[in-house]
Amino acid sequence: MEPFEDDKLVSALESLRPEPRPAFAAELDERAAAGFPRSAGGSPLRRLADRLRSIEPRRALIPAGATALACIAALTVVIAASEKGEKKENPSGGLLSLESPGVTFDPEVAPRAAAGESAAGESLLRLSSKEAAASSAGAVAKAAPSDTGPYATRAPRREIERSAQLVLGTEPAEVRKAASEVFETVHAYRGIVLSSSIRDSGEGEAGARFALLIPSARLGDAMADFSAIGEVRTRREATADITAPTVRTGELLRDSKATVEGLLAQLAQADTDAERAAAEAKLRAERRHAANLRSQLSGLARRANLSRVQLRIESGAPAASSGESGWGIGDALDDAGHLIAIAAGVTIVGLAVVGPIALIVLLAWLANRARVKRARKRALA
Amino acid sequence: MDAVSTRSKTVNQTLVASAAEAPSEAELAFDRLYRTSRDEVYAYVASLVRDAAAAEDVTATAFERAYRKRSRFDPSRGEPRAWLFGIARNAALDELRRRGRHAELAAEPADLAATPAHESAEASERRLAVADALADLESRERELIALKFFAGLSNAEIAAVVGIGESNAGTRLHRAMTKLREACDGAV
Repeated sequence: MEPFEDDKLVSALESLRPEPRPAFAAELDERAAAGFPRSAGGSPLRRLADRLRSIEPRRALIPAGATALACIAALTVVIAASEKGEKKENPSGGLLSLESPGVTFDPEVAPRAAAGESAAGESLLRLSSKEAAASSAGAVAKAAPSDTGPYATRAPRREIERSAQLVLGTEPAEVRKAASEVFETVHAYRGIVLSSSIRDSGEGEAGARFALLIPSARLGDAMADFSAIGEVRTRREATADITAPTVRTGELLRDSKATVEGLLAQLAQADTDAERAAAEAKLRAERRHAANLRSQLSGLARRANLSRVQLRIESGAPAASSGESGWGIGDALDDAGHLIAIAAGVTIVGLAVVGPIALIVLLAWLANRARVKRARKRALA
Repeated sequence: MDAVSTRSKTVNQTLVASAAEAPSEAELAFDRLYRTSRDEVYAYVASLVRDAAAAEDVTATAFERAYRKRSRFDPSRGEPRAWLFGIARNAALDELRRRGRHAELAAEPADLAATPAHESAEASERRLAVADALADLESRERELIALKFFAGLSNAEIAAVVGIGESNAGTRLHRAMTKLREACDGAV
């Protein structure tokens, strides 16, 4: 045989080329014509992976983006709806929430009411041991905390004044019954009805108004019972820390008491009528000052122990409060801003959750790809 | 001839069906690719896995994978044939990996034994000598020869399939051919 020339070598190589069986070729042609249908076998996960692999990345972006947007929109709607539901159930947003919209606290309201009804409420006052001691001569100095700064930050116990407003809705025929339940509730909590006004009339006109004092320690329970009387339309609660004025007044009372004692000693040592008269005059003035301070301290104790509750029963549709006559452009902008904020929040939280997972999946995919690449190289080596 | 006729008929059916469903450009391009590459892909795969049944499975798998990915093929990144043979190569290597044995780049012994009736004794002897020399080459060299002479790819396409530079592919192929020729001459 002659040595191999290029064309002969190539010809020999080409003659060695494996050819497919006609039956296999025909079967493959059929599958190609049918678009390589997926076999029924294989796990659903595998079929899903195959399906995902076949999607063009650029085309996948549109449905993926649409799905993400739909998820964000759905979550935004759910969150916004749940927030609305919560507000409807509890407009105050919490028993002692000062951040609740519409919460206004007038420090003058409670003391004035308490002072006005001091005679009626005297028997129900439950002064703490400290205030009781402060109101009795000689014990103030021991009870008053030493810190008299603007907030009395080191006071051992905080004195908190609380107030609440509640608007209930009911049928015109039920107003009297509801008012009766209000009285019963106040009685049950050993509270005080400062004033009441009940009007029987048609829808929208029938109603009742109450000014109440409820022991602060039981205000939460009492508000819950009041809320059960009718449909809660508005519920507002507020607190104010009156520790600093209480401490300051107690210390002033202690100083005044010491001054009185000094004047009594001065009076005892007076030799002349003029000195005695002068000492008595100072003593009278100081006693008046001490009595005034004692009264102030007592008033502060009442403010801390009794919470003022303004309760109104309405009939008919809820009345729009001033400044809330309708839903305008401002409200629309507020709502839109709120929705955008929720959507942004959902997006950020979603990214915070999906981001690390996607990173882990990406790393796992890259690692698997490198492993397969190495294994393929080894397979041919 | 019958096989060619059957194939043309099926492909025509595909084209008719595709026309009725207004096929996309990617589908038409894939159909063209399938028609021009089916036997070459089988030949290349068979030379890698050296098992007729496995070669059929791998060929079908390769085309199926390519069909699923047809819309992801980017013509600006290379020739369609290089892309298809890259998929076939990965499928074949996966098969080898699965079986845990290495490829033997040669036609099946049964094919070599089947000497064509019209072939002269000298041609038959030369063919057997080439087959033996091919079997003695390294796997990577045999793969390059299979891609060149069984699949009919250009050097640029071979480079894309194997993942090397075009000049590097040409150099390696030349070395493999020189080695093959020397082995054949030695046998003679």
